[in-house]
Amino acid sequence: VLASIPSATLLGVEGRPVTVEVHVTGGLPGFTVVGLPDTSCREARDRVRAALLSSDLDWPNNRITVNLAPTTVRKVGATFDLAVAIGLLVASEQLEPESIEKFAFIGELGLAGAIRSVNGTVSLADAAESPILVVPAESVREASIVGRGEIRGVADLTELVDALRGDEPWPDPPPTPALVPELPLPDLADVRGQPGARKALEVAAAGGHHLLMVGPPGAGKTMLATRLPSLLPRLSGRQAVEATRIHSAAGVALPATGLVERPPFRAPHHGASLVALTGGGSGIMRPGEVSLASHGLLFLDELGEFAPSVLDALREPLEDRVIRVSRAQASVTFPADFLLIGAMNPCPCGQGDAPGSCRCSEYARARYHRRLSGPLVDRFDIRVTVPRPDPGQLLRGEPGECSARVAERVAAARERARARGVRANAGLSAQTLDDHAPLTDEAGDLLDLALRNGRLTARGLGRIRRVALTVADLHGRDGPLRPGDVATALQLRSDLLDLATPRHG
Amino acid sequence: MAEADDRTPEQLDVAAHLAALAGLPGMGPARLGALLSRWPAPEAWQQVRSGALVRAPEVLAGIRGHQSELCQDWQRAARATDVSDVWRQHVAAGVTVVTIGEAGFPSRLVDDPEPPAVLFHQGEAALLDAPTVAIVGTRRCTRYGHDVAREMGATLADAGVAVVSGLALGIDAAAHQGALDAAGTPPLAVIGTGLDVVYPRQNRGLWEQVVASGAVFTEAPLGTPPEGWRFPARNRIIAGLADVVVVVESHAAGGSLYTVEEAVIRDRPVLAVPGPIRSPASAGTNRLLADGAMALCAIDDVFVALGLVDHPGSSPGSGSATVGDPTDPVQRAVLAAAGWEPVSLDQLATATGLGFDDLSLAIERLVASGHLDRRGAWWERVSGR
Repeated sequence: VLASIPSATLLGVEGRPVTVEVHVTGGLPGFTVVGLPDTSCREARDRVRAALLSSDLDWPNNRITVNLAPTTVRKVGATFDLAVAIGLLVASEQLEPESIEKFAFIGELGLAGAIRSVNGTVSLADAAESPILVVPAESVREASIVGRGEIRGVADLTELVDALRGDEPWPDPPPTPALVPELPLPDLADVRGQPGARKALEVAAAGGHHLLMVGPPGAGKTMLATRLPSLLPRLSGRQAVEATRIHSAAGVALPATGLVERPPFRAPHHGASLVALTGGGSGIMRPGEVSLASHGLLFLDELGEFAPSVLDALREPLEDRVIRVSRAQASVTFPADFLLIGAMNPCPCGQGDAPGSCRCSEYARARYHRRLSGPLVDRFDIRVTVPRPDPGQLLRGEPGECSARVAERVAAARERARARGVRANAGLSAQTLDDHAPLTDEAGDLLDLALRNGRLTARGLGRIRRVALTVADLHGRDGPLRPGDVATALQLRSDLLDLATPRHG
Repeated sequence: MAEADDRTPEQLDVAAHLAALAGLPGMGPARLGALLSRWPAPEAWQQVRSGALVRAPEVLAGIRGHQSELCQDWQRAARATDVSDVWRQHVAAGVTVVTIGEAGFPSRLVDDPEPPAVLFHQGEAALLDAPTVAIVGTRRCTRYGHDVAREMGATLADAGVAVVSGLALGIDAAAHQGALDAAGTPPLAVIGTGLDVVYPRQNRGLWEQVVASGAVFTEAPLGTPPEGWRFPARNRIIAGLADVVVVVESHAAGGSLYTVEEAVIRDRPVLAVPGPIRSPASAGTNRLLADGAMALCAIDDVFVALGLVDHPGSSPGSGSATVGDPTDPVQRAVLAAAGWEPVSLDQLATATGLGFDDLSLAIERLVASGHLDRRGAWWERVSGR
């Protein structure tokens, strides 16, 4: 006897509808799963059997075939446990086929019959094509974010079977948790002095410009980077859903409201592998750090210590805002639209900040700097040196401007960018720069000089203009860019690796 | 290149064998001296080549290190080397090889406590007839040290003094560049590698200019790579060739302090350029001053040390007489805040109280007018000549 149960599987961060077909017939007792299952799918047999027996249901002592259709999509994880169990119950005539019409099922089974949540519920709920979707009780909130039909949560198999048979009412949806006040983000007011770094953070947040901070240990690079989220606007509805999908697919804990509304802040350690950063993996296509940082920040501390291959893998997502991961079994495109913040020491000894104070040999410095490829460094619109703060300022300095005030300016600047048809100025195409960022004559002269003395390249020119436009936006100024805007942009793009010896002439 | 050689065949034979000996692996002045204390060069070569050296305890006593291994290494290298090939290479490259005792050997080195047995040079060796001043200092110099070295190089060259330095980065390069910029006496360089091994590579252009107009000396034959121990050894030749040694900037344990030690052994006057006590690049020079080195308070002081002038000059360098101060009050304020030490943007912002835009603009203008120079994210005032 045959049962056909709708469910869904995860491919990258996207859900795909899957039909679980269960066939129970006479013959040698056995259990086969077909349709590109991975190991944890195949293990469904043992979990489902134990769960049925623990829930006082019968395990049909017949030949059982489970087919996961479409058979071309590779299926991973224990997502189908619940669908297999229900299919078995229907196929072995323990449940009426009519009782499960209009239902789809997602969930992993415990041996005692408990129904457990699975990664990627957000996208799975989106993909399930049935009017009613049954999910683990703890996942109701997650599934409701994009789910189109009715969502019903159940805690264990007995509860579910009773409800399907009509013996018991469906369990109540879990109460909305009392709104936990969000933890405050680290505030920019904690930063004393360091006007250059503050400016860099503000401009980076407002214009979506990637930021590289170079400075000796103890200069506060990490402290500055962790304050950037407090300057960024909250995610829009669409961004929040996408970020939530990614977090859900990666199995990263979601906030209490179920929706990722604050810009994510991801700070992978420099030992991170290529796959950890870009996503992928064998079998499961898990989103990597670049995707988890989507619509938020990717902070790479000790940038020079990351493997060069890992850093170079960042170039594609920096350019295209997505990352394509291809494996023999599948090829997946993950979102990867993040603001990159890099931090590194100026040289191996860490002291090569002020001229004449570094203890490294020229060779050691050159080797350290070669770890960052030119194309990658080029993608940082803002590059600043963060010197150690002045001790006097640390002890007696006024607290700096607080994040809320800066965030207002950032929001206003982003509003101006939106009027130009982009989310932030970093996204402006080179062709439209003349329209959006015209230059006063004086400002043009400054750029002309920078080009002539080799400080700027043609590509750098466009980047400087975008940053200068952001600077003007932060002042709330219209009209052509002034020399002050351009000068600020030039200051914010110092040639950090050129610390060696004074040039001649 | 090499002018017609008027040396006797015997002299040429000695020079060729010395060139070959100096090219053996790990061969430094002390080891070469030990070999030559027993045998003349051609015989020393035969001893090394035949492996008989290992049975000469009185020579081995002067050779530090793993003697038996060294003897084997040398024997192997010597068997693979044809002395006349070595000689031909040097002649073809225009390298002059002079040995101690010959007429062409620098007279300042003849009485040296540790003279090189053989010297290789390219360029105009007659420049050594002029008074000489060694300008040495750290590779990791500040703008201040760079400017002082360069200005001194130029001033000395103008005055007919040959500047001697080591063609390293930083102070050395600045001194050479200063001397080349002036149309006076071209500079001399003493290097630690072979004449065909440009090190550091960044200095290739400068190196070629020094060879073209001045002269480059070394005690290492062609093909000798840069090895750490050769540079302190090279410093003794710099001290030996100079009438006066000036240290512009040195870190607390900088390599230039070797040169100072060697200069003291050779009774050469040592001058040190004072620097800010907070500048790590001046820690070594300030310590020298505390230990009794002469202070170079103005560029002209070097002429007093040379005995060319008998009273200190009054011009305090040209640090104060720069390109002409800017007229814009904001730029003047920024320049005043910059002082003469490297400053960061944050320091300038704090000191001037200017907004970021105004400050950035003033800096850009000052760079354009040549008052400020950028190194990474640091700013340094430029002193013109």
